[in-house]
Amino acid sequence: MKTVRDILRDADPLSHEPHRFEQERERLRQAVVVAASEATPPASPWIRTPIALFVTVALIVAGMAAVGSQIWSQGGATLEAAIRFEVRLAEDHPTAGLREVRKVGSDRVIYLHEEIIVSNGDIAQSRLVQGDGPSRFGISVEFNAAGIEKMRKATASHVGRPVAILIDGDVVMAPVLRSPITTSAVISGDFTRAEAERIIDGMGIR
Amino acid sequence: MASVLSVALPGTPADRLSALFDAHHDRLYRLARRLTPNTDDALDLVQETFLKAARSPTSVPVGLTSEEAWLVRVLINIRRDQWRQTAVRKRHDKEMRPSAIVDNDQEAVLMARATVWRALDMLTPRRRAVVVMHELEGLTISAIASLLGISAITVRWHLSMGRRDLTRVLRPQIGESHENR
Repeated sequence: MKTVRDILRDADPLSHEPHRFEQERERLRQAVVVAASEATPPASPWIRTPIALFVTVALIVAGMAAVGSQIWSQGGATLEAAIRFEVRLAEDHPTAGLREVRKVGSDRVIYLHEEIIVSNGDIAQSRLVQGDGPSRFGISVEFNAAGIEKMRKATASHVGRPVAILIDGDVVMAPVLRSPITTSAVISGDFTRAEAERIIDGMGIR
Repeated sequence: MASVLSVALPGTPADRLSALFDAHHDRLYRLARRLTPNTDDALDLVQETFLKAARSPTSVPVGLTSEEAWLVRVLINIRRDQWRQTAVRKRHDKEMRPSAIVDNDQEAVLMARATVWRALDMLTPRRRAVVVMHELEGLTISAIASLLGISAITVRWHLSMGRRDLTRVLRPQIGESHENR
């Protein structure tokens, strides 16, 4: 049996193609150097004066502080999380404005709504739960007050249609809603314990 | 005696770009070729990456490692934009249907290689880069995490999902019905 690494190495174009980049290198080098010469104007004289420089720095710091406070007020968990968790509404049939995606590990195709209902910042707690088999695990995600409200509003009118749970942009689950989701969701269980724990750690809140 | 490596900063933006090009071109081309379907696309991708640096040379950090990380991330971001625009995944579904019968061994080998390479197109560029760096370049998880500016957990996640997707599509080449971990 071959491994993924074996078949990738067999197919690697660098191992059997002529190195055309060596012939192209000088042409490309020239283009880049010319672009650099043309693209960067010399620093403006006014910015060299101490007062103008002070004003410029002060404006930049003030701008960063204003933008930063807005971002941070939306919830630090989203900024710190290593794993991106999202819940979105979805459909089984294509409609204008929806994005076609394939569920991980299956051939099922669903169509995602643009809007993210909840993400990492809306999670109060996540924990490991037993999955579909003895060595398979799922993840229970409990929402905070803001998350509960968002889920309630979004899913109340979506019963009978799918909702997609995404991890790092991949649809890992797309159950059909039997009733509105409010306080929690369980990402059911086709993960190994290590995978599930990595995801929980990566969500930033445990 | 402790020593400090100083970094010589070339004088003009053109000098800086010239030095940047000489230091990183070959490495970027190798990565680009493994992220794209053909040589022309790889050359274009490398060119676009360096042009981005040329347009704003002050945003490129100083130091070989930092420069490489910056350039690699820019290259992957450009590839991601291209990948989204061309909807590779949709094309992939059609292209991955069983191929026409081939009439000799050489052609069969070429087609098998092409099939494997096309299978990589279904991965997002960042995930593909993680798979390529680990499986073909031999980089460790922590080295990839550092290069891409993401956590080791995320690298492992991309690697695991990438292998799973490739195993599913390339089952005939792998010759086994269960997945390779």
